[in-house]
Amino acid sequence: MIAYTLKRLATGIVSLFVLATVTFFLVRLIPGSPFQNGGVSTQVVEAVEEEYGLKEPLLDQYLTYMGNLVQGDLGVSYQEPDTTVAEIIGRTWPVTASLGLVALLASVFLGTGLGILKAVSKKKAVREGIAAGGMLLAGIPNFAAAILLLLVFSVKLRWFPSAGLLTPAHYVLPMISLMIYPMAVISRLTGNTLASEMGKQYVLFARAKGLGKGRILFTHALKNAWIPVLNYVGPVSAFLLTGSFVVESIFTIPGLGREFVSSITNRDYTLILGLTVFMGTVVILVNLVTDLVCTWMDPRMRRAYSGK
Amino acid sequence: MSILEVKNLSVQYHTGQGRKKALDKVSFSVEKGEIAGIVGESGSGKSTAMLAVMGLLGNSAEVSSDGITVCERPVKPGHDIAMILQDSLNCLDPTVKVGRQITETIRAHRKCTRKEARERAEELLDMAGIRAPKLRMGQYPFELSGGMRQRAAIAIALACEPRVIIADEPTTALDAAVQVQILHLLKRIVEDTGTSLLVVSHDMGVIAALCSRVYVMRSGQIIEHGTAEEIFYAPVHEYTKKLLKDTKGNKDLPPDVREEPPLLRMEHVTKVFGTEEGVRDVSLEIRAGEVYALAGESGSGKTTLARILTGVLPPDSGAIWYKGERLDGRGGKKAWNGKIQMVFQDSYGSLNPCLTVGQALSEALRMQGGKDRLTPAKRRRRVEEMLCMAGLSPKDADRYPDEFSGGERQRIGIARALIPEPELLICDEAFSALDASTRKQILKLLLSIQKTRKIACLFISHDLSLIRQVSSRISVLCRGRMAETGETKAVCSDPWHPYTKMLLNSVLPPDPLKAGKIRPVLAEENGRETDSGNGCPFAVSCGYAMECCFEGTPELYRFGSRETACFLYSEEHTGKRADDYRMTSQI
Repeated sequence: MIAYTLKRLATGIVSLFVLATVTFFLVRLIPGSPFQNGGVSTQVVEAVEEEYGLKEPLLDQYLTYMGNLVQGDLGVSYQEPDTTVAEIIGRTWPVTASLGLVALLASVFLGTGLGILKAVSKKKAVREGIAAGGMLLAGIPNFAAAILLLLVFSVKLRWFPSAGLLTPAHYVLPMISLMIYPMAVISRLTGNTLASEMGKQYVLFARAKGLGKGRILFTHALKNAWIPVLNYVGPVSAFLLTGSFVVESIFTIPGLGREFVSSITNRDYTLILGLTVFMGTVVILVNLVTDLVCTWMDPRMRRAYSGK
Repeated sequence: MSILEVKNLSVQYHTGQGRKKALDKVSFSVEKGEIAGIVGESGSGKSTAMLAVMGLLGNSAEVSSDGITVCERPVKPGHDIAMILQDSLNCLDPTVKVGRQITETIRAHRKCTRKEARERAEELLDMAGIRAPKLRMGQYPFELSGGMRQRAAIAIALACEPRVIIADEPTTALDAAVQVQILHLLKRIVEDTGTSLLVVSHDMGVIAALCSRVYVMRSGQIIEHGTAEEIFYAPVHEYTKKLLKDTKGNKDLPPDVREEPPLLRMEHVTKVFGTEEGVRDVSLEIRAGEVYALAGESGSGKTTLARILTGVLPPDSGAIWYKGERLDGRGGKKAWNGKIQMVFQDSYGSLNPCLTVGQALSEALRMQGGKDRLTPAKRRRRVEEMLCMAGLSPKDADRYPDEFSGGERQRIGIARALIPEPELLICDEAFSALDASTRKQILKLLLSIQKTRKIACLFISHDLSLIRQVSSRISVLCRGRMAETGETKAVCSDPWHPYTKMLLNSVLPPDPLKAGKIRPVLAEENGRETDSGNGCPFAVSCGYAMECCFEGTPELYRFGSRETACFLYSEEHTGKRADDYRMTSQI
């Protein structure tokens, strides 16, 4: 298990290196200079570029950047020369992560609950309702959901505030728009895997030995049904924790996603790179954790790794 | 008083095509302390009946009856009635420890603390013949052997404190020797606890070994019932007679090929995966046109050997000659050139569901390649000829595998293997999954084709009663090593190696007097471990094991046309023999 984790971490570092390299050169392909601004003269722009080292050969710039990156230095933002990229991440990520975490928990619990209902409900209307509803919700893009929610509950009904992320009430609408899709997918996945687990021999045997329904469902079937669902939850949590550009922009939430969008429009090279590397790290770590949890949940894999 | 009483049980399934009758007014009963049996081929509705009795059928089934009672009360699963299923691997939850699966059953039936439940579970496991129950409680199902899992399932059934246990094909998935052990255990449990037992099986031998009363089932109806003696010795119904006849099998004499040149020879072939599986130092020789049998239990390396022969797996060491030409395993594919074909056990899994039968067959034909490539029309004609030969109709070429029954699919498998005109056909447990009468038909077909076309056939099976009927020579594999080789008739009537004897003694004859007497022959594991790789692989469970059996591996000792790898036949361990000594069985 430890050897496996180390191997995965090593491949993760290689991926990060490739990611940083590709992004570094791609960013330079954006036309225009980071310091170009309507009223600024060409001489001033060139002078500032000289100061930031942007006139040096591209390869030298790359080596300098990578050297700093290895030491954990993500550089300073071009737009806000007083703040480092690390500080910007430190300011924006807690906002994004708290929203993402709430949306993740809500979608996992609601999705699993609906999936269980879909698999075991005796009422056909409930089963098919959840199936159809899941399909419908999975088809709504989150920007459409966000705008719709904003119009109905914030503008028309005035139940929830429309911008920012100050009070719990602020969380409701962005959370819903973020969780709709994962919830729909999780409910469909759980419903399907659970239904197939419920048809297996060990469930039949558990019923034959006189166990209660709840016990069969929760200690036996759900445990097995959840392993494939978890494989989906991993990537989704990575997606939620790094923030949605669209949802954050619509609800004007000062999070990572919105920062990322503005950094691209501003051609803020270091900020784009820093945010990309950071998000990549989060994605790689979350996926690693998912794989480890999946392995741990399956005793066959657990024993294989622990070498017993 | 009947413990279990079922009156006029009918079941209909609602399918996409409408209603399908699965059971039609079935009545049966089980008396106190008796072992009753229901026998029937697959699809006869045995399992449906049992699930209906337990009330465990799904929503698509419509059950009606004039009463299903256990001790004159309606059935509630797990209360007074318990069930054991065929597939012990899948009927235990793979992610929950064995101990917990037992204790939760105990706690579902009576109030007790966790500690009391654990103690009771250990007792039950001990009763089910599992040694070191404490250790087993902490393990997961996949860490137990097949026999041990079935014992754990029996312990779970006992945890319900049942008045009657339903055992649905309790030993079908197990090796012959383990099957005997489990049957014996079931018998002992009935004697010790006074519970009743209802055994459901397709295997006349199992029914004969256990039951005192038998019901015969066919297409959802009970067509005959009586005491075991009546059913086995004086059957009334034609179907019962046919069932018994098919089980006993036919004595087709295998062709005499002593003069034929060797077709395939392998010498000292070894292929090891990790530490345990695979084959070690195996040599054998198959002559043209003969039926050669390879016997052994699961895990004995039979399938690995078949894969090496077909060139799918390269051997780690050793040599294979095909018609005097050496094949090194890697570049070997060309030299084989479709001359070795295989029929698989899983007839469904080995056919691509997206290809029609005709496509699958002509693909096998195309693989020959080379100069004599056939035109599509000619290929089609060959495919149709082949299907006719396999007892199917030419029209079947345009149908898909899932439209056929298991027996028909196995015929397709045979047609596909035969169409490139092989010289050696390997049948890897190709008949194990079939019902006795289907098996008999297909076996007959295969043997007649084999005889007329003079194809050599390597017949791999765990079923010695089947091997005895078809093969002229036999090799017995024991945990990857050759245990005994010789002419089938001689080996089966007078086994030399203790392992062969154990296998032969585990065959259950469809005869209550003989089968009832069978005792588990596997010696209690003598608690010793052989050093890995060293020692006779059978030594740990061999009743004849000597000190030397744990220390060194016996080589093959040759006497005339027989070979055996057992120290009982070596001069240095059991004494010097005169030059004109004629070796006989030492066991």
